[in-house]
Amino acid sequence: MTVGSVETARVLVLGLGNRLLSDDGVGPVLVDTLAAEGEAAAEVELVDGGTQGLMLLSRIAGRRALLILDAVALGAAPGTVHVLDGPAVLASGGASSTAHEANAGELLRAAALLGDLPARVTVVGIEPAELRTGMDLSEAVTRALPAALQTIRDVLRDMLAAQEGICVSPCQAKS
Amino acid sequence: MSRRVVVDPITRIEGHLRVEAMLNDRGVIENAMSSGTMWRGIEVILQGRDPRDAWAFCERICGVCTTVHALASVRAVENAIGIKVPQNADIIRNIMFLTQMVQDHVIHFYHLHALDWVDVVSALKATPAATADLAQKVSPTWHNSSPGYFADVQGTVKKFVESGQLGIFQNAYWGHPAYKLPPEANLMAVAHYLEALRWQKEIVKIHTIFGGKNPHPNYLVGGMASAINMERLNYVRDLITDAARMVEGMYIPDLLAVASFYPEWTTIGGGLGNYMVYGDLPQNGIGDPSRFRFPGGVILNKNLGEVLPVDLTDQGQIREEIAHSWYEYPAGKEALHPWEGVTAPKYTGPKPPYKQLDENGKYTWLKAPRWKGNAMEVGPLARMLVGYASGRADFKEVVNEALGKLKVPATALFSTLGRTAARGLETRLAVNWLGAEFDHLMTNLKSGDSATADTAHWEPSTWPADCKGFGFTEAPRGSLGHWVQIHGGKIANYQIVVPSTWNASPKDGKGQHGAYEAALMGTPMADPLRPVEILRTIHSFDPCLACASHVIGPDGRKLSEVVVR
Repeated sequence: MTVGSVETARVLVLGLGNRLLSDDGVGPVLVDTLAAEGEAAAEVELVDGGTQGLMLLSRIAGRRALLILDAVALGAAPGTVHVLDGPAVLASGGASSTAHEANAGELLRAAALLGDLPARVTVVGIEPAELRTGMDLSEAVTRALPAALQTIRDVLRDMLAAQEGICVSPCQAKS
Repeated sequence: MSRRVVVDPITRIEGHLRVEAMLNDRGVIENAMSSGTMWRGIEVILQGRDPRDAWAFCERICGVCTTVHALASVRAVENAIGIKVPQNADIIRNIMFLTQMVQDHVIHFYHLHALDWVDVVSALKATPAATADLAQKVSPTWHNSSPGYFADVQGTVKKFVESGQLGIFQNAYWGHPAYKLPPEANLMAVAHYLEALRWQKEIVKIHTIFGGKNPHPNYLVGGMASAINMERLNYVRDLITDAARMVEGMYIPDLLAVASFYPEWTTIGGGLGNYMVYGDLPQNGIGDPSRFRFPGGVILNKNLGEVLPVDLTDQGQIREEIAHSWYEYPAGKEALHPWEGVTAPKYTGPKPPYKQLDENGKYTWLKAPRWKGNAMEVGPLARMLVGYASGRADFKEVVNEALGKLKVPATALFSTLGRTAARGLETRLAVNWLGAEFDHLMTNLKSGDSATADTAHWEPSTWPADCKGFGFTEAPRGSLGHWVQIHGGKIANYQIVVPSTWNASPKDGKGQHGAYEAALMGTPMADPLRPVEILRTIHSFDPCLACASHVIGPDGRKLSEVVVR
């Protein structure tokens, strides 16, 4: 599920969540979609991180920017697309994790402690409707996918443009 | 009148494990309930699928348990179809297994369990020079032990604490009277916690090398699909050497140093006294249990004089009951062997959020697996005891050495600290075996044997029309079994019994408690509002799910609620 073969690609797109728990798996599903569209630049690596928690620390180290795709439950309407920046994610979810089912907050705090936190961290998430056993996304989340993908492309373009003044724009939206 | 302590977790998905502890007037836990509060039912997803794909779904069940579920799954399908994998496939699977075990145990100790014993805030009071003296005494072979190094670590931690971002350190009870380490020992442990986090970034690269670049490794019915490249294998050798150095130079000395401050925990938290191991790490194929590095067997009532054989295919041995679980079985059935297993949910509990569950009714999404009707503990302690009681020299050596250093008798193993120590001792064996398995692979490759898969049975047309099989492994947290029935090339039934189902089991029809429940009973609590004692015992099992514990007082009032990560 990786595109952009260099392990130290400057930008890492990391999908988090469990594919067996319906909307919780939206992060990995978004990674699949990006990979299938083949839009990622060579500087971007796409990784389906599942729920591997701290095992993913090695993937985060050495990046300039990190874009996490995840189910994010903030109590908004199901299907709402959330964009959170690094500090907000670091501060969130203090008591809400285990190393075994780690969430983005836990992973980022551990990375920060090791000095491995990329300079820029953004989370694009979708408010889940259902977290039951099953491999299908809910209708609300399915409807939100195009908007989320557009947001992801915008964030990625911005992340790449900010790299040493080199402007790469492989992430233009498809109509 | 009893008091009740409830522990319920909020994880990325709410509700996993929940523990309720009922206290008596003296502040001692006199009853406990362990509940799985979310239904998973992966078995239902697998029905009707191609058995060759099952491992890829199973791999997603649990984040850290990826490789073990994939392994149990491919073994179950191979067993059903009658495939014997080449020796190199077993060796590569053993390398994957052992890498995960070493990584998982080290991370469990430092990241999840150490903070039950180590006070991070107290570490700020330590003198770096005195910490360096202590470290050089405890771990003479470990390189990072200068006063300057510990001053740097202290500075890092101080910055985190002062910024209000205790971050990953926040889930604990700093300043609790149950913490007994001096500030210098706390600082040393915190420094090593950071080193362990850094080290694990490297060791997991072994999985990448053998399992592919995706963080979810590739398994294959019939063997392994590894592309073997000599240059990368040399790198694996370096990673194994580093791992062994870290386990012997840092983890084990830290474990023994921490344990020496908590002798009372060698008499608390023992629980059932029944231990079960399926066995793993085949040296002559999965069909020859006499050549497993981890011998299988059962110990009942702490009797180390006898190891009973365990048979996963005997329908009278492993059976799951549902007297206290939210499921229904066909009329007249009270216990089912996994081959005949039924996963039909029927929730009859209170509407969440609820205050407490009824221990006399159904109270959990976990079934109650039993071995010949007995509740069993699985995991590192079970494996070390079965190896020890089987008379295996390698097990006896590491166990006796640790007992000698701590100056405690073998009965000290039947405890919370015994469980924690067993995990460390098992890691010593595992890292040593990891090197041996790797050397074996290199010998085979150099002699021209590079076969890693049997593809003769890949096509369903080569399979029996109806067949059934079982696959097993020893996951870091205990015995894991998968049972599959295949009809017409598709999965007709699939049942998984995970280690935490054994350990977090509810009561059965006879009222026998599961391992967590039994282990909590009799535990004295210094401060029911801050139930660190519950964290210590539940963490000693390394639960694969977050667990919330609730403490209920003698008047029925909830005293505290805490997430056991």
